[in-house]
Amino acid sequence: MAAPLRRSLPSLGRTLLSPSPAPARMLSAAASDALVEIKPGEIGMVSGIPEEHLRRKVVIYSPARTASQQGSGKVGRWKINFVSTQKWENPLMGWTSTGDPYANVGEAGLTFDSADSAKAFAEKHGWDYVVRKRHTPLLKAKSYAENFKWRGPPKAEQA
Amino acid sequence: MCLVEVEKSPKPVASCAMPALPGMKIKTNTPVAKKAREGVMEFLLMNHPLDCPICDQGGECDLQDQSMAFGADRGRFTEMKRSVVDKNLGPLVKTVMTRCIQCTRCVRFASEVAGVQDLGMLGRGSGEEIGTYVEKLMTSELSGNVIDICPVGALTSKPFAFKARNWELKGTETIDVTDAVGSNIRVDSRGPEVMRIVPRLNEDINEEWISDKTRFCYDGLKRQRLNDPMIRGTDGRFKAVTWRDALAVVAEVLQQVKPEEITGVAGKLSDAESMMALKDFVNKMGSDKVLCEGNGPSPPADLRSNYLMNTSIAGLEKADVFLLVGTQPRVEAAMVNARIRKTVRATQAKVAYIGPPTDFNYDHEHLGTGPQTLVEIAEGRHPFCSTLQSAKNPVIIAGAGLFDREDQDALFSTIETVAKKFNVVRPDWNGLNVLLLHAAQAAALDLGLVANPTESIKSTKFLYLMGADDVDLDKVPDDAFVVYQGHHGDKAVYRANVILPSSAFSEKEGTYENTEGCTQWTIPAVPTVGDARDDWKILRALSEVAGAQLPYDSLSGVRDRISMVAPNLVHVDEREPCTISSEVKPPVKQQVSSTPFKTVVENFYMTDAITRASKIMAQCSATLLKK
Repeated sequence: MAAPLRRSLPSLGRTLLSPSPAPARMLSAAASDALVEIKPGEIGMVSGIPEEHLRRKVVIYSPARTASQQGSGKVGRWKINFVSTQKWENPLMGWTSTGDPYANVGEAGLTFDSADSAKAFAEKHGWDYVVRKRHTPLLKAKSYAENFKWRGPPKAEQA
Repeated sequence: MCLVEVEKSPKPVASCAMPALPGMKIKTNTPVAKKAREGVMEFLLMNHPLDCPICDQGGECDLQDQSMAFGADRGRFTEMKRSVVDKNLGPLVKTVMTRCIQCTRCVRFASEVAGVQDLGMLGRGSGEEIGTYVEKLMTSELSGNVIDICPVGALTSKPFAFKARNWELKGTETIDVTDAVGSNIRVDSRGPEVMRIVPRLNEDINEEWISDKTRFCYDGLKRQRLNDPMIRGTDGRFKAVTWRDALAVVAEVLQQVKPEEITGVAGKLSDAESMMALKDFVNKMGSDKVLCEGNGPSPPADLRSNYLMNTSIAGLEKADVFLLVGTQPRVEAAMVNARIRKTVRATQAKVAYIGPPTDFNYDHEHLGTGPQTLVEIAEGRHPFCSTLQSAKNPVIIAGAGLFDREDQDALFSTIETVAKKFNVVRPDWNGLNVLLLHAAQAAALDLGLVANPTESIKSTKFLYLMGADDVDLDKVPDDAFVVYQGHHGDKAVYRANVILPSSAFSEKEGTYENTEGCTQWTIPAVPTVGDARDDWKILRALSEVAGAQLPYDSLSGVRDRISMVAPNLVHVDEREPCTISSEVKPPVKQQVSSTPFKTVVENFYMTDAITRASKIMAQCSATLLKK
């Protein structure tokens, strides 16, 4: 059963719901061995990103499989959703404009192999993040031969 | 595509149908296997039209993927491709039957999951086609799922046909609020518009299906929307005003009424944040009359086990006997019904039902229509008792429709007697459930929006409706001042004096708790319409203008406040079951009345402001509901 496995993960979201300005010691141990130590949010500051975009709230999630396709190539990646909705339709041409420079970054630009690398990225930029649980299918062992298995004489009510 | 080469086997072997045996040498990437797959692909594409550029499935099509991976770059079929007459399956599913590759997934879905024997395979050889034999609409509340299941573009969404290509769409993973199940969905939007809704896998809640109401209600998000604050003038017409003016008018009226005459009603689509703000605001104004519609005259809010699905939705699969009391899960919570059907099919679980005659898509036993049958079971006089007695994991599901009955307390105590008698609640199994109707109900009971609606509304002078459209507006006194805060111009707007536009579930971050007690978030997919604002922000602004400022001004602030009242509501994606047993309840003196149970949901397709505004849902109710 996969359900208990999934449950055993502590709620990652919970730690983030507290009004945390900057979680202490965020980068992994490897970072402290490095010559230059990167403090949370520093990357964002030195790259000249405006103040308001350093305090973004983002959601880290793993996109679900497209409902109509069975291929697994795109399953298991992690993305960052910037929860931005500042959009409008250009009245002249009908194009969509957005007031948020990050709107398309999350949609198209960024994918991560694991939740941890997405988290590290968010920490580096000083974003307040929430990690959403990834849902995986419960796989049951089935075999084609089972369909033809002898299950004894048919019961009266099933006949 | 599953053909592999097995050593010493003269022909390629279909790996999906061949058990692996010890000593077998299997080769998956040899010229023989590749050529065999190419051959299969060529047969599949023989009669398949090359209309991917105008096909709605193009870009998310399994056949496209497969032919890219396994197919050859040319075919040898030069004869006429066959063509098949399109079938009419109703207002939701568009068919282009020429594209069908006869995989029969839709037939299997209809008969195995949806439980309607509408679809089947007709004819043989090249004349083989999927159809309904006589022309017939597909009348299932899950029919939209055949769109996802179809690996080609034979079954596509009718409302979405030619509206957008799927690579233009931005997917936002959120949840559904049209019923209390909280199905996981992905809202696909293009620019500022919701284009479609598709399901997302969650094995604990909706598996991989969603109901038609969830899938096709989205056009309601674009119609009948309130986009500006409005005040009703002396001539009875609404005039658009600025937020400042609207809030000032509401605040002025608030100063004039007595505190105990203020009533706040949360609607069935409200999120926990806005209900928290509403409750805090009304309490701060000095009134405790704040309630959520659908919870009845005396909401059972003392113990969480009294209003939650304690078995959990996935837990229903372990049950072997179901007793449904006054609930029609097929229309109240289609995904829960699918789960019950799955259990019935897999384990031959028995289902007994007490309530008005209704449609079921699995075998069931109709025990009676009124509470008398329930009393008979409680007293052990009913023949069904022996089935319950021998059950290992019995489940009782009571409908939230019972909350509206006068004899609510007596009924629930009878249900508890039954539960005690037949060992329904044990340390390792809790089979006593309530199936809620609306997305807001569970969170409202957690947060304590529990005033009595009839009394509070009858005596009110200031009624604050937060998306509440199904309150009995005839009972509102004529001189009462009614503020309607919501996203749709629905029923209650006709009585409102002031309209404050708010954002719908697809446009805001909100917390919802589903019927099994699982807390989930919505994530905004599109911008709000016009000048609308989030519900809790409007209340926060109003509180400041009215001089009773709420102590939070950010979403995290509201969530901190919620965590003080109901901590389970901030643990997102987690189901927090109730741990206290219902043993501690005081004895009930009320008598069970003999009035039979009523149907709670008359029209599956139209239950709230969004679905009532939807044109697709209107078409469905016109054509699919049996009259």
